Amino acid sequence: MLASLIHPRLWLALTLLAAGIGLSVVAWNGPADAMLMPRVVLAIWCAMALTLTIIEALRHAPSPRSSLSPLPLLMAAVLLAAMTMDTLGFLLPALVLVALTLWLFRVRRTLPLLVGTALIGGGLWFLFHHVLLIRLPAMLNSGVI
Amino acid sequence: MDVILAAVGDAFTWQALLAIVVGTWAGIIIGGLPGLGSVVGLTIFLPFTFGLDVITSMALLIGVYCGSVYGGSITAILINTPGTPQSAATTFDGYPMTQQGRVDEALGWATFASFFGGVLSCVLLIFCAPQLAKFAVNFGSIEVFALVCLAMLCIVGISRGSLLKGLLCGMMGFFFSMVGSDPITGADRFTFGTQALSSGLDLIPVVVGAFALSEIFVRFSARDDEATVIPEARLRFPGLREIGRRSIELLRGSLIGSFVGALPGTGAAAAAFISYATAQKLSPRRAQLGKGEPDGIIASESSNNAVTGSAFIPTLALGIPGDVVTAMMMGAMVIHGITPGVRLMADQAQTVYALFVVLIIVNVVMLILSKPSIGLFRYLFKLPLGFVMAGIVMFSFIGAASVRGNPLDLVVAALTGILAYALRLGGYPLAPLVIGMVLGPALESSLRRGLLISRGDFLSFFTHSGIATTLFALIGLFLVWTLWSSLAQWRANVASRRQASARVAE
Repeated sequence: MLASLIHPRLWLALTLLAAGIGLSVVAWNGPADAMLMPRVVLAIWCAMALTLTIIEALRHAPSPRSSLSPLPLLMAAVLLAAMTMDTLGFLLPALVLVALTLWLFRVRRTLPLLVGTALIGGGLWFLFHHVLLIRLPAMLNSGVI
Repeated sequence: MDVILAAVGDAFTWQALLAIVVGTWAGIIIGGLPGLGSVVGLTIFLPFTFGLDVITSMALLIGVYCGSVYGGSITAILINTPGTPQSAATTFDGYPMTQQGRVDEALGWATFASFFGGVLSCVLLIFCAPQLAKFAVNFGSIEVFALVCLAMLCIVGISRGSLLKGLLCGMMGFFFSMVGSDPITGADRFTFGTQALSSGLDLIPVVVGAFALSEIFVRFSARDDEATVIPEARLRFPGLREIGRRSIELLRGSLIGSFVGALPGTGAAAAAFISYATAQKLSPRRAQLGKGEPDGIIASESSNNAVTGSAFIPTLALGIPGDVVTAMMMGAMVIHGITPGVRLMADQAQTVYALFVVLIIVNVVMLILSKPSIGLFRYLFKLPLGFVMAGIVMFSFIGAASVRGNPLDLVVAALTGILAYALRLGGYPLAPLVIGMVLGPALESSLRRGLLISRGDFLSFFTHSGIATTLFALIGLFLVWTLWSSLAQWRANVASRRQASARVAE
């Protein structure tokens, strides 16, 4: 019963409402002059999110059939690569992410996968970091990799 | 007249022309790659100018700047991923046209509108720069606040059918723009003790996440679907009759861009949204806007390219750079011995006019190079989907990492991508999120400065000056109009539903 009531759109509206309320608490605890505008904006945010939550709860939208998709894996890989680039440098996480993206988009043959990873991941990194001197996050202090 | 002729001679040297061709072509390609925009392009090319003379080096940089603003529209139309934030408004109608199989028409209009806006702003720059600079000085905080409020109305138009969701996304974008140091007091806001958040959230990682990364997730979840195939990029210029039919829209967008560009602190992205908001109210085909109407592309592209010329007005005439890009251009000018400011036109008139001529040539070269450049994108997008998506992921990461050198920007891009995917699934429009983030800082700082000027009396904003009163009156008029048309639409819907149920009962 509860599972059929809480469909993804309602979850999203509830999450946005919770985020708005949490941020509003931070805004009301901050300095009055600096937080004047955020308080107004967050109040409107909460009002909109609350209205949307009520609308979505009343709508009784059918829950989509759940199916196993590797999309969360791609999302997690993107997030993990972004988080680790500060410590591991740009190259290594980028190579892993590019290889995984190619694989998930069904580039499964070994040669295209390896060449694609080397050219798109390593090639673009080399072009920007070493040729065009656009400094990307580096693992070593010298900035070589 | 002699000065102008001498300036034309300066601009038509083979070195300057070569620099224009190289710069414009590189700019189009850089602008078209998601995440890489004008700033990255100028950063790459700035060191190459050190050994060149003043006009050649400025020709190279102006080429990169104008080319990148146009280039952003190519991927905005083809894959719903604006190459630069300036082209975000182009996705509203550009991508629907691509989905309808009208990609050639969309790219043709984007190219022609960019050319038209760029050239018109150059002509205005030559003849009206001193007058526009004087008028722009009349725009204080309260007038800018009124102008930005007018642009914010764009959210209402874009969120047709889901106004609450659009407003919520607008507030989210506005909130993103407020993270970091407070512009007036310097107090930290929503930094949660993190040093990296003190400098705030940059627009580029948010745009990269909201459009490029979320698009990858959407295409991944529908990778078995035929619709995920990227259309072949072709370009068809509009005919003279079509141009004549939409000449008012072209002129309006270009004038808006020229004017907004002349105001310090606004920029091409804000100009595109203001122009789009105006088209939503004034275009004779406004009902079709957002569903694949060329007027939407014209509004966005003519205005953002018009900014490239007029942004030089405060930079050259007042020595005030309007945004990061013009600040970089100003730095390059100083390196080459041009000191922008009120004395510039008197002291170095020939050089200034040569720059204006260069701007016109750049726009003509951009029109000529558009076909081969789009051809290059055609070859890129002919690659299997996996390679294109992996390339977009890499360019998005490079763009987000290089914009400020702040590692947090990468995390912001990734998180925004995931959030944007969820919002798209929930039927939330993403454009208001970007509009809120683009216009938020200008709205907040102008409001708070205005309150300081008026000693906290908000009501005095409405009577502060003739410009402010006119702009607020326009806002009121637009609100009443929107409310009236929504009411009329609702009544029509109710009436048609009643008729349908009556027919069923019969």
